[in-house]
Amino acid sequence: MEVKPTGQSKAGDWKNFQRVLLPPVKDLHKLEVYEAEGGYQTFRDALSTAKWTPPAVTEEVQQSVLRGRGGAGFPCGLKWTFMPPVDENVPRFLCCNADESEPGTFKDRQLMEYNPHLVFEGILLACYAMSIKTAYIYVRGEFADWITHMEAELEKVYAKGYVGQNILGSEFSTEIVIHKGAGAYICGEESSLMDSLEGKRAYPRVKPPFPAQKGIWGYPTTINNVETLACVPLILRYGGEWFSQIGAERHPGPVLYGISGHVNRPGVYEYPTGMLITDLIEQVAGGMRNGKKLKAVVPGGSSTPILTAAMIDGVTMDAETLRDAGSMMGTGGMLIMDEDTDIVAWLRRVTHFYHHESCGQCTPCREGTGWLENIVSRIEEGEGNIRDLDLLVDLCSQMEGRTVCALADAAAWPVRYTIERFREEFEARCRPSLVPGAEVMETVE
Amino acid sequence: MTNFIKDPVVMMAERNPDPVFSNDELVFSDQEKRLIERWKSQYPTVDGAIMRVLWLAQEKFGFLPPEVIRLTADEVGIPYANAYGVATFYTQYYKKKRGKHVLDVCTCFSCQVCGGYDILHYLESKLGIHVGETTDDGLFTLQEVECLGACGSAPMLQVTNGRYVMDLTHERVDALIDTLRKGKTPEFTSVTLPQDEDELGGNRRSDVKEFQASSPRPVSETVR
Ligand SMILES: Cc1cc2nc3c(=O)[nH]c(=O)nc-3n(C[C@H](O)[C@H](O)[C@H](O)COP(=O)(O)O)c2cc1C
Ligand code: SF4
Ligand code: FES
Repeated sequence: MEVKPTGQSKAGDWKNFQRVLLPPVKDLHKLEVYEAEGGYQTFRDALSTAKWTPPAVTEEVQQSVLRGRGGAGFPCGLKWTFMPPVDENVPRFLCCNADESEPGTFKDRQLMEYNPHLVFEGILLACYAMSIKTAYIYVRGEFADWITHMEAELEKVYAKGYVGQNILGSEFSTEIVIHKGAGAYICGEESSLMDSLEGKRAYPRVKPPFPAQKGIWGYPTTINNVETLACVPLILRYGGEWFSQIGAERHPGPVLYGISGHVNRPGVYEYPTGMLITDLIEQVAGGMRNGKKLKAVVPGGSSTPILTAAMIDGVTMDAETLRDAGSMMGTGGMLIMDEDTDIVAWLRRVTHFYHHESCGQCTPCREGTGWLENIVSRIEEGEGNIRDLDLLVDLCSQMEGRTVCALADAAAWPVRYTIERFREEFEARCRPSLVPGAEVMETVE
Repeated sequence: MTNFIKDPVVMMAERNPDPVFSNDELVFSDQEKRLIERWKSQYPTVDGAIMRVLWLAQEKFGFLPPEVIRLTADEVGIPYANAYGVATFYTQYYKKKRGKHVLDVCTCFSCQVCGGYDILHYLESKLGIHVGETTDDGLFTLQEVECLGACGSAPMLQVTNGRYVMDLTHERVDALIDTLRKGKTPEFTSVTLPQDEDELGGNRRSDVKEFQASSPRPVSETVR
């Protein structure tokens, strides 16, 4: 069953950690300030030094053990090597995934607000490493203000000659285009993001072929999260070795923890991976509000399985430990809930989210998410039967792994694990009997 | 179950409602056309520009009835059916007319456990409408939306696909409604990073007037 993790923080001397993704510099979002802080120097070096050939850049990123921050935690450098060899006649694309719609996640927005140039520089370096000439930043439509801010800064970057044709007099050319979404969680899924960019309804595609083989408009494409790309300039500046030494060994690097819910100081915090969840709650986020007791933690966005207060003991925030503890790292967007939280009502709202956001392509997902919501609502209203709980778990099994994209799994996991881990609460809301109408008999007795 | 089959006349009327805009109104200005051309040039095929052009059309006309969608399709140079498909897929494109200000209250996930429903119900009673409805004076439409990516500042809402108003309390909601009634737009608010409150004293962007520290907010009484 569940393996008890070691219980040691893997974040080392995190209290003295020097922030690098969101360093404490006033007005870092301005090009002048960013450059004064050494920004774009890495990119200049990459273009002008013989050492930094495109394969060398990819090699360094592989060395750093940087893993995707978009949810799946896939090694970034490895993903880059999937791109086919360069053919001058075949366009190649990079997509920066700034769709950030996973409930509980709000770190990419802060990165775009406070350090957009780090993201631009990361995109440029990724384009350089993979010889890509066009990069799209897919930003969710709700972030209208942040799109305006980023476009203003991007214009300055163009004027400065860091983006465009023959950048800084070199052979290398790249365009960056900001694409505005219009409100659909599913656009965060990489293949549906590609459809959305192509100006279609955002339906996920069957994989394989993977984006590196057949991406936007059928051309080789790499998709990375905003935070993943923001790590790239830092890796080249300070070395892959440096990056791999931060935090947990197999999931290293600085990471943005988005902490929300019933804590005293919610917000985005930058610390190494491998922080103890208890440290994050007590020492980082200022403890529980009103001195309440902790009830549950969702460690990485709505689709990651919920952990009870008893389960987080000694658990650190990195992919391996969280997997052993029965959950996932996801996006690092943590929701902290106190003892007064109504878990049944909360689960009902989560199932509503997935029902609302299912694209409707696959029957298990389109119908399944609807039934999950129906049945959990029924339990919330006190109309459910105990056997509904087993029905729900059975329904989850019928959804998992049977659909085009992972949204169906993402919808099933919260239901499965919340029922497993808070079963008494669900049972207390259900009618006691197995057979409808049997309670009448009981009262007669 | 015959009642599933609608009267064909009603169905036709729903699909092809009487146009709201006259042909004279249905034009893009030269400046807008230049923007559209630029967007079209940013993608390998012109299709990629449709989302941007729909946004432009919605800002100009307020919502997207069929004749406006047809205009965008013609302007981009793609079939009407494709543009219609896109316009109906994404929730932020309004197919029906809304109030002047649309209040999108987040009640998802973190906002839910921090009192998103309290804010929603408070707005319902304050404006005298149910969620999904528009006030009689056409000023406000109230909607419930999914996570807007500002969970650390829960509960929060968005005004008409634009400004985020965060860390809501009943007083803040009152102030917001006042501001909007006066015809003003709420300020862009920067969320401070809690770690910055020690080192930069809070606001790390000097070009932003309003900023909000991540301070504890009252806990909602019921988590619904
Ligand atoms: C339903 C669904 C929603 C997703 N939403 C997002 C998202 O909002 N942002 C994101 O970066 N990745 C999201 N992803 C993950 C992406 O598909 C993809 O794995 C990621 O962008 C890859 O970037 P990374 O390797 O840098 O993490 C989502 C995946 C699924 C299945
Ligand atoms: S799993 Fe759901 S969201 Fe994904 S493609 Fe199928 S129906 Fe669409
Ligand atoms: S849950 Fe409301 S903004 Fe994320």
